[in-house]
Amino acid sequence: MIIDIIISGLINGSVYALLAIGFSLIFGVARIVNIAHTAFYMVASYCIYYATHQMGVHPVLAMLVAIGLVTLIGLICYKLFIDPIREHEAAVLIATIALAIAMQEIMLLIFTGDFLSVPALVTGYLKIFEVKIAYQQLLTFAVALLILAGVWALLKKTRLGLAVRSTAQDREVANLMGMNESRVAMMTMAVSVGLAAFAGAVVVPLSVVHPHMWMHPLIMMMAVVVLGGLGSLKGSFVGAYILGLAESLVVFLIPMGAFLKGSVALSIMILVLLIRPEGLFGVAFEEER
Amino acid sequence: MKRFGFVLGVLLAVCLVMTIGSPAWGAKVIKIGVIGPMKFVQGKGHWNGATLAAEEINAKGGIQVGKKKMKIELVKADSNEFLSMTDATNAMELAITRHKVDFLVGGFRTEAVLAMQDIAMDYKKIFIGCGAAHPKLCTRVAQNYDRYKYWFRGTPFNSMYLARTCFIHMATVGAILKKMLNIPKVKVAIVAEKAMWVDPMVAAAKGFIPKMGMEVAGIWRPSAVATDVTAELSAIQRAGAHMIFTTFSSSVGITFARQAGELKIPAAQVGINVEAQKDGFWDATEGMGNYVMTMNTYARGVEYNELTAPFVDKYIKKFAEVPTYTADTYAAIIYTLAPTIEEAGTLDADKLVAVLENRECMVPSGKIRYTKDTEGRHLHDLKWGPGYLTSLGTQWQDGKLKGVWPNRWKASKDAPEITYKGIVPYKIAPWIIDKYKK
Amino acid sequence: MAIAGFYLRRLYTIFKGEVLVLPSRVVVFLFFLAVLFLPIVTQDPYLLRILILTSIFAILAASWDLLSGFTGQLNFGHALFFGVGAYTSALLNLHARIPPSGSIPLGALAAVLAGLIIGIPCLRLRGTYLALTTLAFPIILMGIVFAIPSITGGELGVSGLDRLSRSRVSDYYITVVLMLGLCTIMWKITDSNTGVIFHAIREDELAVRTAGINTTRYKLLAFSLSGFFAGIAGGLYAHFMRIAGPSTLEVSMSFTVVIWAVFGGIVTIYGPVGAVFILFPVLEFLRFWPEFRMLMFAVVILFILLYMPDGLLPWLRDKIEEECPRCKIRNVATRKTCRVCTAPLD
Repeated sequence: MIIDIIISGLINGSVYALLAIGFSLIFGVARIVNIAHTAFYMVASYCIYYATHQMGVHPVLAMLVAIGLVTLIGLICYKLFIDPIREHEAAVLIATIALAIAMQEIMLLIFTGDFLSVPALVTGYLKIFEVKIAYQQLLTFAVALLILAGVWALLKKTRLGLAVRSTAQDREVANLMGMNESRVAMMTMAVSVGLAAFAGAVVVPLSVVHPHMWMHPLIMMMAVVVLGGLGSLKGSFVGAYILGLAESLVVFLIPMGAFLKGSVALSIMILVLLIRPEGLFGVAFEEER
Repeated sequence: MKRFGFVLGVLLAVCLVMTIGSPAWGAKVIKIGVIGPMKFVQGKGHWNGATLAAEEINAKGGIQVGKKKMKIELVKADSNEFLSMTDATNAMELAITRHKVDFLVGGFRTEAVLAMQDIAMDYKKIFIGCGAAHPKLCTRVAQNYDRYKYWFRGTPFNSMYLARTCFIHMATVGAILKKMLNIPKVKVAIVAEKAMWVDPMVAAAKGFIPKMGMEVAGIWRPSAVATDVTAELSAIQRAGAHMIFTTFSSSVGITFARQAGELKIPAAQVGINVEAQKDGFWDATEGMGNYVMTMNTYARGVEYNELTAPFVDKYIKKFAEVPTYTADTYAAIIYTLAPTIEEAGTLDADKLVAVLENRECMVPSGKIRYTKDTEGRHLHDLKWGPGYLTSLGTQWQDGKLKGVWPNRWKASKDAPEITYKGIVPYKIAPWIIDKYKK
Repeated sequence: MAIAGFYLRRLYTIFKGEVLVLPSRVVVFLFFLAVLFLPIVTQDPYLLRILILTSIFAILAASWDLLSGFTGQLNFGHALFFGVGAYTSALLNLHARIPPSGSIPLGALAAVLAGLIIGIPCLRLRGTYLALTTLAFPIILMGIVFAIPSITGGELGVSGLDRLSRSRVSDYYITVVLMLGLCTIMWKITDSNTGVIFHAIREDELAVRTAGINTTRYKLLAFSLSGFFAGIAGGLYAHFMRIAGPSTLEVSMSFTVVIWAVFGGIVTIYGPVGAVFILFPVLEFLRFWPEFRMLMFAVVILFILLYMPDGLLPWLRDKIEEECPRCKIRNVATRKTCRVCTAPLD
């Protein structure tokens, strides 16, 4: 029982972590709350569906193509709709909502509202302590850890990472020091959207593809990010696993209330915020003037 | 700028003509509003079934109303009810007041249908519901007959009978498991999406399963749109269930079937899984939905009566898929509305109601008869049972949806055995056999 | 007679001096006239239905602006107030048999309570944190709604409510007059001292606190005022639709409100109202191309944000009016000099 809870919590958490890292990254660097983040994840799933089912491409290749394509779409959207209005924080929020709706509607037009699916990269399952885990889930778990390591290395070991971190700390000063702030933001956007697409590619074989699939993960992802502290990668990671575990606790302890898992996760988020308004690992607010 | 104003003016004029002009054509035809979520499978079913019916009737020259023949014109009303309640009610009002429809068929999401029902009743239009199963839609008729008498249920029969049919399926599969695998006491896990229409079924199942000589292993209620149920699945397996009683109407049905298949959970899925009724289910689960059994209305090659095969064949020929139950708008128009109008010889709703509620008619899925409640008040609900509507039990067997129930079914001890044409035996998933066969 | 004549003349002078001088005021005046006298021209029930729903959502959008626009407390869960108002008045009407005239205000009070309950924890949060946290509240309430179906009716909602009034036309007048009245009240509030403090909190909370003003109290006031108006909208919606269901709490509902307000222009009150009166009917008439409805909606919003980030209505207003650089009084764009201080405009 306890092992069940821990394993399914870890796997749930990995999914959220994958999504939350990208979301957190772009917020930390460019202060963009990208509501369309999970919409990119949806578009990536549709790309993979199209490539594998309509064109008969191998899933792995389809995945790579989808990630590339969605990153490109993300960059175009960013250049066209978000970059020009970055000064207005509220406007950016609305723009990303509108973007998400637009993408949802386009997918609805092309693929209708039918439930679709994509093939798993690996099929079959493994038994650990009598608990069955699909290989695809193990893959998600492994990939989440790898991605975190990758992003960490990118931030700490490369010049781009240095630029990203300094921009995240103080945009204006970074600009004054000769960094091309808008280029850094764009690169971060590319990485963030790419991560969303990647998450889509890994997670989606376990669930269903449909135009409204971005809503539920969006809310959980936001809860994770807020819980962990906006813009803090470590926070997102820890937050993801906390909420993942909380969800599986609900399922195992009150099976009649399995549908409440979302509500419980959100309540935990609010409780944490009551004690630490900046989230677990967020930077305490300075009085902004 | 001037040019733009002109174009705008023309556009507005066109819109005006389109809105005002359309009712003018409707003098000599019977207008039937088909209301449903047109962007989704359910709405497509509504529309496809209705178009098939309209084409057939119009090919014969129309419906005989008194002395003249009237053709049918369908009005498509996109209720968008999954996403917006206001859209649903607006579409209803639009269809009735602007397009001047005489009758309405369709509706799916109960919350929306309740609101749409009220509007249709305001205008005294006959509304045949083809999608929502909740009994409340019909108890309203009994409670306030004068207001709600224009509502009739077209499909499916109400959730009480849905539950009853499912229990019979469960007993059937339970008996097979017991016999083939020597399981002394079959354990059943109840997995139901969190929705109101399911609640009475879950309560009934909890009470009824022990009476059938089986044991309840636990109850799980995932959200109707859950994207991950592996936690539930491992809990179910831990509870040692041999059979899973499912009640899903939404996307969770696919997720559940797929993940259960992927993990080869050794328990047979029986019950209602609306997604599994569709042809797209096999692809949507990447073949992992094999051996899933669900209640269903139509299946390839299964015939309730002589009307079934022509309908199903025509439908498959035209739309390249098996009709789902929302496509019963076909039966609602061609077998329920049309003959009633011909019999009454009028389009007057009150007179039609009086004829309709006492009629009995054959439809492709059985026979329709409207019921009364225990106090003898009209419910306009559907009668269930052998000879009337029974529905089917269907199972996915290697990429094909086969009918597996009723297979030599006796409704009571001395009732005749019923087997519909085209029924095949139930198959147990090999991994279940491997797990329990000694 | 003479006295009546005097007052009429006085009224005319005020009208000429205060309303006719500015095109925006003329537009508002015409808008009042149009919605009030529409039923004389047509009583088409479908059109009235659209306008009733438009009015209800206009109250909702304006109430969002009162809270989030003015005090800058970005609320992404405005559906909570709407839903609480709707459910409360529905339950009171159904079980306690309180007629709409009583159940709607009581529903609004419940929404005020909800505003206080979520306002208190939210006081410590700011900006994006607040936006994302408030988003969670309606979802949690939705969980509760589904958990106690015996009271809330689960996904069926609470149905079988009393009608707002006997006929569609009187429904129309009730909602429209309420809409005009409540929006004017909201506008007056934002114009009062309280409104100035709200606005100041948005601009610089620290400075307001330094001035010796208890900002906490004002923020809570904003939460409960906004909750009150949104609750009325919710109650009206429940009684007009005759059902209060979980769809009133959906995330898309919260998002739509924000979209309306930002589209129309925040920190204006009239902006969101205008936006709802443009967008809601337009979306309805786009039924001619039902497939492209939402897509066009989204694209239009993207372009509006791109070319007029302050919203549509303030942008229009700036096109037809100009602010005097000296005395800050607005003038018609065609004037060369200010109408009050005669300073040259350019």
